[in-house]
Amino acid sequence: MRPRVPVPGFRVRLAFWPTLLTVVVTAGLWELAARLANVSFIPPLGDILGRLWELTVQGQILDDLAQSLTNLAIGFGISVVLGTAIGVAMGLSKKVEAALDIYVYALLTTPTLIFAPVFFAIWGLGSGSIIALIVLYAILYIVINTAAAMDSAPTQLLEMARSFDAPRRTVFWRIRLPAAMPLVMAGYRVAVARAVRGMINGEMFIAATGLGALVIQAGARFDATTVLAILILIIVIAYLAIEIVGFLDRRLTAWLPSNERVGGF
Amino acid sequence: MIEVSGITKRFAGRHGEVQALQGVDLTVRDNEFLTVLGPSGCGKTTLLRIIAGLERADAGQVLIDGRVIRSPGPERAMVFQGFALLPWATILSNVAFGLEVRGVPRREREAKARELIVFVGLSGFEDMLPHELSGGMQQRVGLARALAVEPQVLLMDEPFSALDEQTRRLLQEELLGIWEKTRTTVIFITHSMEEAVLLGDRVVLMSARPGRIAEIVDVPLERPRSVSVDSIETSREFAEITNHLWRSLRTMQEPVMPE
Repeated sequence: MRPRVPVPGFRVRLAFWPTLLTVVVTAGLWELAARLANVSFIPPLGDILGRLWELTVQGQILDDLAQSLTNLAIGFGISVVLGTAIGVAMGLSKKVEAALDIYVYALLTTPTLIFAPVFFAIWGLGSGSIIALIVLYAILYIVINTAAAMDSAPTQLLEMARSFDAPRRTVFWRIRLPAAMPLVMAGYRVAVARAVRGMINGEMFIAATGLGALVIQAGARFDATTVLAILILIIVIAYLAIEIVGFLDRRLTAWLPSNERVGGF
Repeated sequence: MIEVSGITKRFAGRHGEVQALQGVDLTVRDNEFLTVLGPSGCGKTTLLRIIAGLERADAGQVLIDGRVIRSPGPERAMVFQGFALLPWATILSNVAFGLEVRGVPRREREAKARELIVFVGLSGFEDMLPHELSGGMQQRVGLARALAVEPQVLLMDEPFSALDEQTRRLLQEELLGIWEKTRTTVIFITHSMEEAVLLGDRVVLMSARPGRIAEIVDVPLERPRSVSVDSIETSREFAEITNHLWRSLRTMQEPVMPE
């Protein structure tokens, strides 16, 4: 038997070494600049990582982190389910698209935080408001990409299906949907980064909970080390979230010849 | 039997209407291998698409065993120039597609697909993806997919024109071998004279602007041909028929210089 198609995972990324290089160089420059400048608002990287370690070991950060991640997972999950459904409907039906188009672009151009008071009024100072904000941050990119992706199926394949007299249902599940996957997944990758942003904004501007609350408290104390430690943690969360979605993407679209992969994160 | 009568088709072009087909009459006998040859723009693919039910004629009708054709149906299966394989589906699943569409249970359709994969010489490739196969192998998948639904008529739209010369020759031989076993009625579109003569029982020669049938040429070459392709192509009969077709085709060429 022939070898199976290799399923690309975390390791199979050509971009890994350049990424590591820029991270190391940036870290080195930061450390150097901070030691030379010696001002309180640019703490050396070593101190920041030390603080992150302390916060983790003391367990102080863990509850906040768990709460933030739960909100993120729920918010992103809702965005995926709802956004994909709306996107599919818009992509397949000109009428649905005409009906919803205007709202999608209106929301896309409006600063999302404008809706914070509305959510606050509906769900109060809790997770509900934050989750709603995460959804609003993430969902549009899923809707737009999914709607556009529904046109991805090559005419030739649609004709082939027609020549076999395939019912619409089969054409959707076997042709339109798989053909749409690369673009849909590209939408998920952008959306997950937006979701992390929505999570932090929600925690900082709606309800002072989770990591956002820690940032605000530390900020009020002019504690730049803690603020930056949490910032680094947030970047790591965002990066991991994108990696997880990217991993799923590479699994689901393993059939794509490598030179046709949709770029992005 | 397929009866095509009075088929006319116009397309809206940028410079007014283009008469793709005008008054095309044609009878395809059962178990016949019919090749359709013509210069580009003669509407040969359009004619095939109308017979396939993928396109409607502006006038005229197509009858299969006396029934009028308006849409695709289970008695016809098509093989495409660009293969039209699902890039995300395995070879097995691609070959089984037509059966899946018809609601054949998985176990049954996969058994049938495996049979056809062996038949077209692709055993061992069942779990591969189309892009891992060469063009010639991909078109064998296309052929197996069409044969899997056991059509009464096989419609082939320049199926080998995207392939290189050696591959095309091999596939012609194999198609002859397969046809000699199945004797399915075939309508085969091509722009290659040699291909038309080598494969067909009759060659339908079409002319362009407007697209119509110029001539139907009988090919009395002996069958089976799959075992003696080389000697057929060097035979006098073969040369006579292709020469005749070439003379006819040459008179159809538009003048190169402006008049």
